[in-house]
Amino acid sequence: MSYQWRTVFEYLPEFLDAMGLTLWITLQAFLLALVCGLVAALARNSRWVMFRLLAGAYVEVIRNTPVLLQIFVVFFALPSVGVRLDAVTAGVVAIGVNVGAYLCEVFRAGISSVARGQGEAAQVLGLSPRQTFASVIAPQALRNVYPATVNNLIQVLLGTSLLTAIAVPELTGVATVINARTLLFVQVFALTLLLYLILSNALSFAAGLLGRVMFKPALDQARPGLWPLRRTRPSAIPVEVSS
Amino acid sequence: MNWQLIWISLPQLLRAFLLTLELAVVSIIGCTVIGLLVGGLRTVRLRIVAGLARAYVEVFRGSPLPITLLFVYFGAALYLGYSSNVFAAAAVGLSVYHGAYVAEIFRSGIQAVPSAQREAAQTLGLSAMQTFRFVVLPQTRRIVFPPLIGQFISLIKDTSIAFVIGLVELMKAGQAIVDRTAEPIPIYLTIAALYFVICYPLSLWVRRNERKIVPA
Amino acid sequence: MTATANGATIGSNVQLRAVTKAFGAVEVLKNIDLEVEDGEVVVLIGASGSGKSTLLRIMSGLETADSGQVFVGGIPMHEPKRAPEIRGHVGMVFQQFNLFPHLNAMGNVTLALRKVLKMSTNEAEAVALKALTRVGMQDRCENYPSQLSGGQQQRVAIARALAVNPRIMFFDEATSALDPELVGEVTSVMRSLATEGMTMVVVTHEMGFAQRTADRVVFMDDGVIAEQGTPEQVLQNPQHPRTQQFLARVFEA
Ligand SMILES: Nc1ncnc2c1ncn2[C@@H]1O[C@H](COP(=O)(O)OP(=O)(O)O)[C@@H](O)[C@H]1O
Ligand SMILES: [Mg+2]
Repeated sequence: MSYQWRTVFEYLPEFLDAMGLTLWITLQAFLLALVCGLVAALARNSRWVMFRLLAGAYVEVIRNTPVLLQIFVVFFALPSVGVRLDAVTAGVVAIGVNVGAYLCEVFRAGISSVARGQGEAAQVLGLSPRQTFASVIAPQALRNVYPATVNNLIQVLLGTSLLTAIAVPELTGVATVINARTLLFVQVFALTLLLYLILSNALSFAAGLLGRVMFKPALDQARPGLWPLRRTRPSAIPVEVSS
Repeated sequence: MNWQLIWISLPQLLRAFLLTLELAVVSIIGCTVIGLLVGGLRTVRLRIVAGLARAYVEVFRGSPLPITLLFVYFGAALYLGYSSNVFAAAAVGLSVYHGAYVAEIFRSGIQAVPSAQREAAQTLGLSAMQTFRFVVLPQTRRIVFPPLIGQFISLIKDTSIAFVIGLVELMKAGQAIVDRTAEPIPIYLTIAALYFVICYPLSLWVRRNERKIVPA
Repeated sequence: MTATANGATIGSNVQLRAVTKAFGAVEVLKNIDLEVEDGEVVVLIGASGSGKSTLLRIMSGLETADSGQVFVGGIPMHEPKRAPEIRGHVGMVFQQFNLFPHLNAMGNVTLALRKVLKMSTNEAEAVALKALTRVGMQDRCENYPSQLSGGQQQRVAIARALAVNPRIMFFDEATSALDPELVGEVTSVMRSLATEGMTMVVVTHEMGFAQRTADRVVFMDDGVIAEQGTPEQVLQNPQHPRTQQFLARVFEA
């Protein structure tokens, strides 16, 4: 191993700590995103116009402005209205709220993609609307949205790297510090890249396993390959609904 | 809160916004070219080539943009000196990164055309080239445009991440004013409005034209 | 007779009086009168778009009539408050099966038994097994819909409808989505139901089924009942020119 690589590897404990923080922020933000997405999806289908408008505004504003700006708003602007968050919490909130807007649309599409005949069959069988949703619509919607939801988990992970801009010591932030100290940018960023690839592939691999346990009959997943990411990631082109 | 500040700083912000737009346009062209190339290479029969193209896509889709930008920036600084162009580094980084996503869009767009279409064309006597040119491509275009524009929206927003390599685009220019005036809210609102004005119409277009979907 | 939650009894007959239904400006049903007696098998035929599905959907409570009276098993379906009482007392079999893809055959049949009739899992499975045996699917209980052929899926769908012990069964083109060689297994299940005395209203393009199984054939044309009678009367000696045209086209194919 060259001298440069050895130097960088001396920082491995720092890298691993940062990786842990990245993962921790990712999981918290993803949880928040699930909640935001679910609440917004329900609000967008609500009977009350006010809820629909608010949720619509949330989704459109978040999706049409940069996430970095949203991070800055939470960290630098909220204190001037009395909400003071530490950098990590601010990051969790900003990224969770951001990805929640995307998940909202995923969940909505997931519900509306359940064929209409499913609800009708349940209705004739005598199931109440609530029972129909819980036993027939929701389980199928969950299957439908699973791959896209995992995809958004990966987006959360990648999004955490922006928290370097508010000095959170996550993976990217620590990498820039070590780079400044060693000036070995090739080695430092190559190692960082590798660690991100490990994280993203590990997350989607785990999600793939979970999906296999959760869903019967099995989800249509591509055959396992070298790149677990490919398995759960939705195609860039949405699949047309068979009606 | 000093709302006056919006008017005072608007010329400065608009100038930075112009740079943001320039960066976006250059990078959109760049990532489309890269995406076409890599997407095409992925369908090549030579396995090494297809494998490399796939690795490219996987690496960039599995890692965050700041890493790519930092790589390009420091690489350029090392080999071209610190006077090297931050704008160019940002454009290259954005193109390379989003090119991976664009490549996936093109590839799945081509695959979304049912193979029966190809077979039908070939039984009519069209050559492989003619089949691609007259049967597959026209159908691909309709399928590919909405997600492609969606990707461009992401790219436009991602120009703000050039912040991390110090390019004074809209985000950085705005943050400089915030640091100086300690008035974040008016400035952030202005910045948000500028991005929104560009991205929202594009989003509406995407929504109107995208396929009715299951969120696969 | 079975009792509803509020104590009323539900019969097995249908009475439609002057029923109309429009979707926007399109009048889909125009003044329909129809009676179906206890144990009767009525086959509805007619061109696509003539309103057959809409009529079935009104009788099964999936749509409400714009005007007129609809009594199904004695329940006044035209009264919005009372229409839901019919749920679980009629069975509906759809062209697209509409099996629940996330449940296996057993799960499909037991769902309503457990959720609506509040049976225990064991009870529900015993009842479901009987229903599945009736349609010859007792060996495929564990299979998910995606693992079954179209004919098998439709038989499970029939078992699912039968399991709750409905008073009337509605079939909306139950064999139209099937490959020709699979039609027979579904029609034979339907025929055996008819023999057992089930009240049935069947929309179908299978003239053989109509000929052999129907007590009465009803020909619908553009939202009205143009002609009805025994299979011999309607299928062999159609009086209405539209019936003649329709049958000529069906038998040509
Ligand atoms: N939900 C609906 N909204 C609007 N039009 C409908 C709807 N359902 C049916 N129709 C129209 O009503 C007419 C009759 O439909 P349908 O009852 O399905 O006929 P059939 O089953 O005989 O083919 C058709 O013209 C159809 O387009
Ligand atoms: Mg029909």
